[in-house]
Amino acid sequence: MKKHFREWSVAAALGFILVALAVFAPPFYHPQPLLSLVTYEAPTLIVAVGMATIIICRQIDISVGSLFAVCGVCGALLLDRGWPCLAVLPVSMLLGALMGAINGGLVAGLGLPSIVVTLATMVTWAEALRWLRQGVLVNVGHAQWFGFTQGEGQLTIVITALVILLINAVGLRHLAAGRFIYAVGTNAEAARLAGLRPRLITFLMFVRLGTLTGLAAFLAAVQAPTLQPKPDNGLELKAIAAVVVGGVAISGGRGNLWGVFCGVLLLTVVSPISPALVYLGIPSYWGKAIQGAIILLAVVADGWRARKQKF
Amino acid sequence: MSAVSAPLLALRGIAKSFAGVRALRGVDFDLQVGEVHALLGENGAGKSTLIKVVTGAHQPDGGSIEILGQKIEYLSPALTRHYGIACIYQQPALFPDLTVAENIGLRLEPSKPLRRVDWAGRRTRAADLLKRIGANISPESEVRSLSMPEQQLVEIACALGSGARIVIMDEPTASLTQKEQHLLFAVVRDLRKSGVGVIYISHRLEEIFQLADRVTVLRDGQSVGTNAVDDINENKLIQLMVGREVSHIYPPGESAPGEVVLELRGVGCKASGVRGVTLQVRAGEILGLAGLVGAGRTELGRVLFGLTPADSGEILLNGKPVAVTSPQDAVNRGIAYVPEDRRRHGVILEMPIAHNMTMAIHQRIFPGTWLRFGAERQLALDYIRDLAVKTYGPEAPGGSLSGGNQQKVSLARWLATKPKLLILDEPTQGVDVGAKSEIHKIVRRLAKDGLAVLMISSDLPEVLGMSDRIGVMRGGELVSILPGHSDAHTVMAAALGQRGPGGSA
Amino acid sequence: MSSPTSSPPGWKAALRSHEFILLAVLMAEWVSFYFAGTHHTSHGTFGFGTADAQADILRHTVEIGLLALVMTPIILTGGIDLSVGSVMCFSEIVFGKLWRDAHMPIPIAATGALLTGAAAGGLNALLITWLRLPPLIVTLGTYSIFRGLAEAVTRGADVFAEFPASFTFLGEKSWLGVPVQVYVFVVVAIAVWLLVHRTTWGRSFRAIGYAPEGTRFAGIPVERRLALAYVLAGTVAALAGLIYASRLNQVTAADGTGYELAAITAVVLGGTSIFGGSGTVHGTLLGWVAVAVLSEGLAYANLPRELGGMLTGVLLILALSASILPKVLSNWRARRHTGTSTSQPPPPAST
Repeated sequence: MKKHFREWSVAAALGFILVALAVFAPPFYHPQPLLSLVTYEAPTLIVAVGMATIIICRQIDISVGSLFAVCGVCGALLLDRGWPCLAVLPVSMLLGALMGAINGGLVAGLGLPSIVVTLATMVTWAEALRWLRQGVLVNVGHAQWFGFTQGEGQLTIVITALVILLINAVGLRHLAAGRFIYAVGTNAEAARLAGLRPRLITFLMFVRLGTLTGLAAFLAAVQAPTLQPKPDNGLELKAIAAVVVGGVAISGGRGNLWGVFCGVLLLTVVSPISPALVYLGIPSYWGKAIQGAIILLAVVADGWRARKQKF
Repeated sequence: MSAVSAPLLALRGIAKSFAGVRALRGVDFDLQVGEVHALLGENGAGKSTLIKVVTGAHQPDGGSIEILGQKIEYLSPALTRHYGIACIYQQPALFPDLTVAENIGLRLEPSKPLRRVDWAGRRTRAADLLKRIGANISPESEVRSLSMPEQQLVEIACALGSGARIVIMDEPTASLTQKEQHLLFAVVRDLRKSGVGVIYISHRLEEIFQLADRVTVLRDGQSVGTNAVDDINENKLIQLMVGREVSHIYPPGESAPGEVVLELRGVGCKASGVRGVTLQVRAGEILGLAGLVGAGRTELGRVLFGLTPADSGEILLNGKPVAVTSPQDAVNRGIAYVPEDRRRHGVILEMPIAHNMTMAIHQRIFPGTWLRFGAERQLALDYIRDLAVKTYGPEAPGGSLSGGNQQKVSLARWLATKPKLLILDEPTQGVDVGAKSEIHKIVRRLAKDGLAVLMISSDLPEVLGMSDRIGVMRGGELVSILPGHSDAHTVMAAALGQRGPGGSA
Repeated sequence: MSSPTSSPPGWKAALRSHEFILLAVLMAEWVSFYFAGTHHTSHGTFGFGTADAQADILRHTVEIGLLALVMTPIILTGGIDLSVGSVMCFSEIVFGKLWRDAHMPIPIAATGALLTGAAAGGLNALLITWLRLPPLIVTLGTYSIFRGLAEAVTRGADVFAEFPASFTFLGEKSWLGVPVQVYVFVVVAIAVWLLVHRTTWGRSFRAIGYAPEGTRFAGIPVERRLALAYVLAGTVAALAGLIYASRLNQVTAADGTGYELAAITAVVLGGTSIFGGSGTVHGTLLGWVAVAVLSEGLAYANLPRELGGMLTGVLLILALSASILPKVLSNWRARRHTGTSTSQPPPPAST
């Protein structure tokens, strides 16, 4: 209990809000709107899963929003040309992997600070996308919901996201490679002395995040008949916030994906588009402020605990 | 133990120099199978350099390394596991946010990424190893929550588990309680029984006599004697450690020191381990503070400078009780502290000399926060001249200077505060002979001009040559104050805690 | 370590200095846009090469320039402030609310905005110095909360507009051919330059960036200095907000989006190290102008605006790599020479 105190407290906060909703705003639990909300945020969960390991190994990536948009648009363009979904998915993931590799190469290979590298790539991809598309929407048409009904499509997306979460959570905990990530994050020098390769691991984490983002972009692209070619405003913030709220320390080396899952759920429930706000009678424009407050609270709580531990 | 077989580890003629300083001058050392071989020597005698050669962190400039008769061409930290060498440092290289079981697992398991983690196996193995060394640590505890001695025990467990044949222990009992020490000794004896060779570095003579089979003394980068422990006694060991030709002339001290500037009465600081220190320093006098690493001398300096304020006892400056609560407070009261870690705390290498020199006196030389380059440059030129700093100008970055000149800049920074009490922490560490002599002359001159000087130093000849009186610290306490003309043997004995001739508070 | 008594760097090193190269890049930009974007016709000269165009470029980018100026001391201390864009917007909103809904006169409303900015900076400073949290994550939190508050107060839709001429002159008018806000900018630029290069506070910023512990050892009040840097940033962000509001004659909750990143780009491009300690305000100004000319000048040359963003990103990477290159090369040479692995783990995002 004590060991995963942080994760349990997020889960408790989430539980509290869910219970409050059940009492004060039962319509929140109507299946269809709830499913739509969860489906909409499923890509965010996938990106957060990728972001978590980046932060665990003491790096950061703020270019995921642009990466997401580029992969989404490319995927949608292929779908529009009639490519089958099963062919477009790997292309999107590969594209994401390549873009992630660029980030990883600059950070791990040249030793450049990740905040500035991903700032630069973020701007570059976003502007390139804007230039090439000039705001023209991309038709997804027949591929919406993979060609299934909306209900089936939504379920597919949600289940995919949960499976990804499960695989990664298990891998992070039970695969040796997963533990290497924690080792690098908590003491990279000791990791090197123990025979691990911190730079390679860091590089691979960026590639992993890119791949997952490519997957997430595809899942987002099929949710609407057309796709807007602009970077998802604030995806990187959402992902980082969910990860931090979920108990992953920005100083690296600790945290797990279940906490991140709770973090994503928490921020989803109070997001501006969430019906929860509507049903609770809170105007939706408070959504962002509430999210920001939760993030700040999580950050301050972590700092407070660390401060107490030092003395 | 058969003496016929090849030694477990044989070092012959190991030489190593750094930037013109000869740290090791042809050291011979051998370790037999199933032996505890102690390595003894003063600070700076070359012990850690020798160990770094054995662990592959340094490549020797000359000499050879053999393990069980096989010559080793190349050694690196990554290869030590392969050769069965494990070293337990004072600063453990552990993963703070992970559990003990995971730490041991990561160190001992092969680094193949696509394996399933055997958590139960890790737990059992860790519990097993910890039980074997009798450590009362739960495998599930986070390393971050362990105390330093507990972390060391985890390191020992790792070494045990890695099946190392050569185990090096660098001051392992420095921070252990009596009970933990006994556990450690049992572990070491256990290792010896199973044929492991242990190189045991320690300053505690009683431990060496209790545990070791042989002892080698290093002095000035050379081995000056290897003896079976049964064939030698404490006095002889101390003699081997300190006996040297005096090759350095220290500036002569002078007459009557003046008023008492600093008086400490039972000063202590729980957090840093300083206990009940009572001493006096007068104007014009140099009080040398001797002791071995970990004796608490730097900690005392930090207490006096307000970095870790005292929580017991009284500090009197010029007869008046004061509470020094911060470095700024200390400077305002006329206390200056030239830190031990020159590169991290003393001089900012990327900034020009002039900026470094004025770093502590912003309010005085730059009234109204406005920088005045002219005054700053003049001050820098004055100190460059007074202290004979070899540089092309005040705008040269700190990093362009040699160690000795950097130390002079560090000194200048603090002299600029016009202190009444100057605390020097290892003033000539890593400084070449020429600059060393210059710094000594400067310090003596400062004392003559009326400054009270507290000089912390691990360089025994320096302490003997410079001090008017010598305070010896051990385990956070001041154990004796000796007259300045004491001999090395007396001082070293007091530092080692040997009850013998000489030495009374 | 270099040999003792090495001689002072000569003029060759000055040529290789970051600012000089940046200046060269800037001049290349300017000359290219001049030739590609200016049209001489019988009616006169149009396009990039006109005074009007130059004035417009300045006018459009003053806000980012202000943010870049105050970001410099923060990055010099080894920190970062991701919240300046959100603080800018939130201060604007406070201004709008005070003027329109509380019916306060413009000067009072403006003061309220500036105080809001200062308070926001103070919050950052408090969390960073008292709780010892990494600036990256603290300002990430304040970045989202101030943006969120801006949205909440405006109910996501409200827009403040129709400000009186006594206010909008700041953003729209010119004195002596130079836009008014440029005068404000120049004053702030000079003030920040003096702060960083001519005061003890500025010296402290660098020292903190190079060696935070060592600076404390020297008796410098590190927490107070950091507080100064962050509060200044918040206040000037509010000022930038006021200028923005007066230029566009409106305030929305989306203002300033992405401005913090543009500011950081200008600072890093200008040669300030993200790790702290080294950097100059004039470098930042050059970086800002380089980015401003690049992004605005493309339109005159009939090139897509997006190209500017892309080139800025590439330029940033090149600038970073150039500063790292000597270290990478020497590490590589050392490794091949001694055969020992000196490869270091990659630098963490926050310490």
